[in-house]
Amino acid sequence: MLLCLLGSYFFYGWWDWRFMTLILFSTILDYSIGLKLTDTEAPKTRKRLLLSSVIINLGILGFFKYFNFFIDSFREMLLTVGVEASMSELNIILPVGISFYTFQSMSYTIDLYRKKIPVERDFLRFATYISFFPQLVAGPIVRAKDFLPQLQRTITFDWNRFNSGLSLVLWGFFKKVVVADSLAPFVDLCFEAPETFSSIHLMLGVIFYSFQIYCDFSGYSDIAIGLARILGFDFPENFKTPYFSKNFSEFWTRWHITLSSWLRDYLYISLGGNRHGTFFTYRNLMITMLLGGLWHGASWVFVFWGFLHGMYLVVQRLIEQPFRSLMTKLRVPTILSAAMSIAVVYFFTCFAWIFFRAPDFEIASTVITRIASLEGFHPSTIISKFMALKGILLIGVLLIIELTNFRIHYIPLLVRKPAFRLAAFALILWAIAFFGTFGANAFIYFQF
Amino acid sequence: MKQQIFSRVGWAVLFVFVVFIGDRAGGWLCQQIVKGSGFRYSRMYTDKAKCDILLLGNSRGLGFYQPTIEEITGKKTFNLSYNGMTMDLGKVLVEDYLERYPAPERLVIDVTMCDRSSPEILASFVPYIADSDRLKGLIRDTSYNVAAATSVSHLYRYNSEIFQRALYYSNGKSDNEWLLDRAMSTSTLKHTENQKYRIDARFIKELKATIEYAESKGTEVELVMTPYYPPFAKVVRGLDIFHEDIERGTGRRVRDYSYAIEDPSCFGDFQHLNKKGSKLYMQQLKADGVL
Repeated sequence: MLLCLLGSYFFYGWWDWRFMTLILFSTILDYSIGLKLTDTEAPKTRKRLLLSSVIINLGILGFFKYFNFFIDSFREMLLTVGVEASMSELNIILPVGISFYTFQSMSYTIDLYRKKIPVERDFLRFATYISFFPQLVAGPIVRAKDFLPQLQRTITFDWNRFNSGLSLVLWGFFKKVVVADSLAPFVDLCFEAPETFSSIHLMLGVIFYSFQIYCDFSGYSDIAIGLARILGFDFPENFKTPYFSKNFSEFWTRWHITLSSWLRDYLYISLGGNRHGTFFTYRNLMITMLLGGLWHGASWVFVFWGFLHGMYLVVQRLIEQPFRSLMTKLRVPTILSAAMSIAVVYFFTCFAWIFFRAPDFEIASTVITRIASLEGFHPSTIISKFMALKGILLIGVLLIIELTNFRIHYIPLLVRKPAFRLAAFALILWAIAFFGTFGANAFIYFQF
Repeated sequence: MKQQIFSRVGWAVLFVFVVFIGDRAGGWLCQQIVKGSGFRYSRMYTDKAKCDILLLGNSRGLGFYQPTIEEITGKKTFNLSYNGMTMDLGKVLVEDYLERYPAPERLVIDVTMCDRSSPEILASFVPYIADSDRLKGLIRDTSYNVAAATSVSHLYRYNSEIFQRALYYSNGKSDNEWLLDRAMSTSTLKHTENQKYRIDARFIKELKATIEYAESKGTEVELVMTPYYPPFAKVVRGLDIFHEDIERGTGRRVRDYSYAIEDPSCFGDFQHLNKKGSKLYMQQLKADGVL
């Protein structure tokens, strides 16, 4: 355990040792508050302790991540009413992984307050939970109730765990280096100067982005989960073929699962969830998704992305029942209605991705208007055809693998057989060598 | 227990062996595809590219439309141009060509390729490093990691767009006739004002060395600037002094055709002629004695 902790601090300090103080501060804060929460039964004191943890944690996160954003937004708001204020922005570096470890640390205090978990009295164990390197910079967000008990057991080398972890690591690398990074240059061009591309080119760019971000982020999660498994720990699953979701509620149980379940358990339910009638359910959904959007980055485009997903969830609740009745009345075969639902969810998810990827609303609206114009809607207007072909081919391979593994998870079973494992590992390595894109392509979620 | 360890070590050794053999076998297969391809560089490195007029440029150089040139001059052509081609790479290709073939009568270079360096484009030419020590050396000097990776994995040598193109022309079909065949829309012109041409003294030196090498082999060299869509050429910064810099640096005349074609239907986009425009441009080059 000590080795894991030192290794994790070394890993984090390698990026910028100064920010070690931040992670140490959060660790000491929540560790101390945790001890005090357990030592007292007085509701007011407990509430005060919880609030101090939440306020300080969110205060640090807010300062590093959102200070300039709020200053800038406030200045622009004043400008709209004719007041020109001079407020200088600070040159703040966003500490890597702060959004992830802050949420992880807060979940411990909240769960303690709710008396869902026992207190952790061993500081080294708690510090390892907060800073464990595989998931430190981009998740999955691991809950204390899942991880702290694992730190108490003796870890021994397990060949089967090693193999299963390694297969996840390799699959994660495949998704990142082969798929995501191969799609990135095409997508980057689309969002740099969308006005210069045709409708079909931009449409392909948006589709590529949906797979780029999926493979980038889920690839990282697979690597993190695989590394943890090799070291003897189990992390929760973070992605489950999200683009096969038939509705948006399902999408959020398949996409960045550890964040969406965190938001559900600590925000949506705290706001009242669906316990106080339709209006409040919709309000809570919107607040949760708006803040979920803001969590991703200090920009209004992320907030709008969250808003869109909130709207999707609200509209879905409104039309779900009539839609089902209509399908039954029209006697649409289940498989067809499922395919239609998947297509509709994917379409609207892609629409929201435009705002997530675009640096500002102007670029996002250019992308949308040019796609909608259908100008040059012919494959011959696609520039970088070879890049496009490679992207389509890789997405096809990914979809075939995920689609066949969708219902019956046969791949993990096959990987247990040595001959198949050898073939699978070799194939992935060859694919990485033959299709991989190598360079300075950091994981997208590192910036959050 | 002992048996289990031996079994695992055995599997590990077998794994390394399979990966290595597969990589070499895959690399060999790709090499055969590249060698048998009708793609221009494959033809060049397999001695199938003898010509009278050698052409060089970046994506704009692809506007040297070979069927028209051959039709109006009756001479054989070979085009070394490639999207994003840089002058250092162009120099290596010209030198390789002149070393392998009898000197062509003429080498026509579109000098607008002197505006950038691109280690990525260079690295994408790794499928041909087995055929050219010059190319190998250039890639080693500019992208050491790529050069090292190609020694470890032979499959990695074919991880590039160049290989995809070679694969596309693997049926033996030539790429001589390929050219943009679409007409552009002028509606996006207002968004192009930030474009800038910047010339580096290093590229001029490379160009000068290329000219001198070709001339030493008895090849006459013509420098040109292929047409831009004129309203675009007007807003691009740096273009006006581009040919002056090159003329000063090389001591050779640059024929500037930047504003030679005005009809928007002759362009695939603001910087590239389409088939119709290229035909006109080739006629102009012929009339001016460039071809």
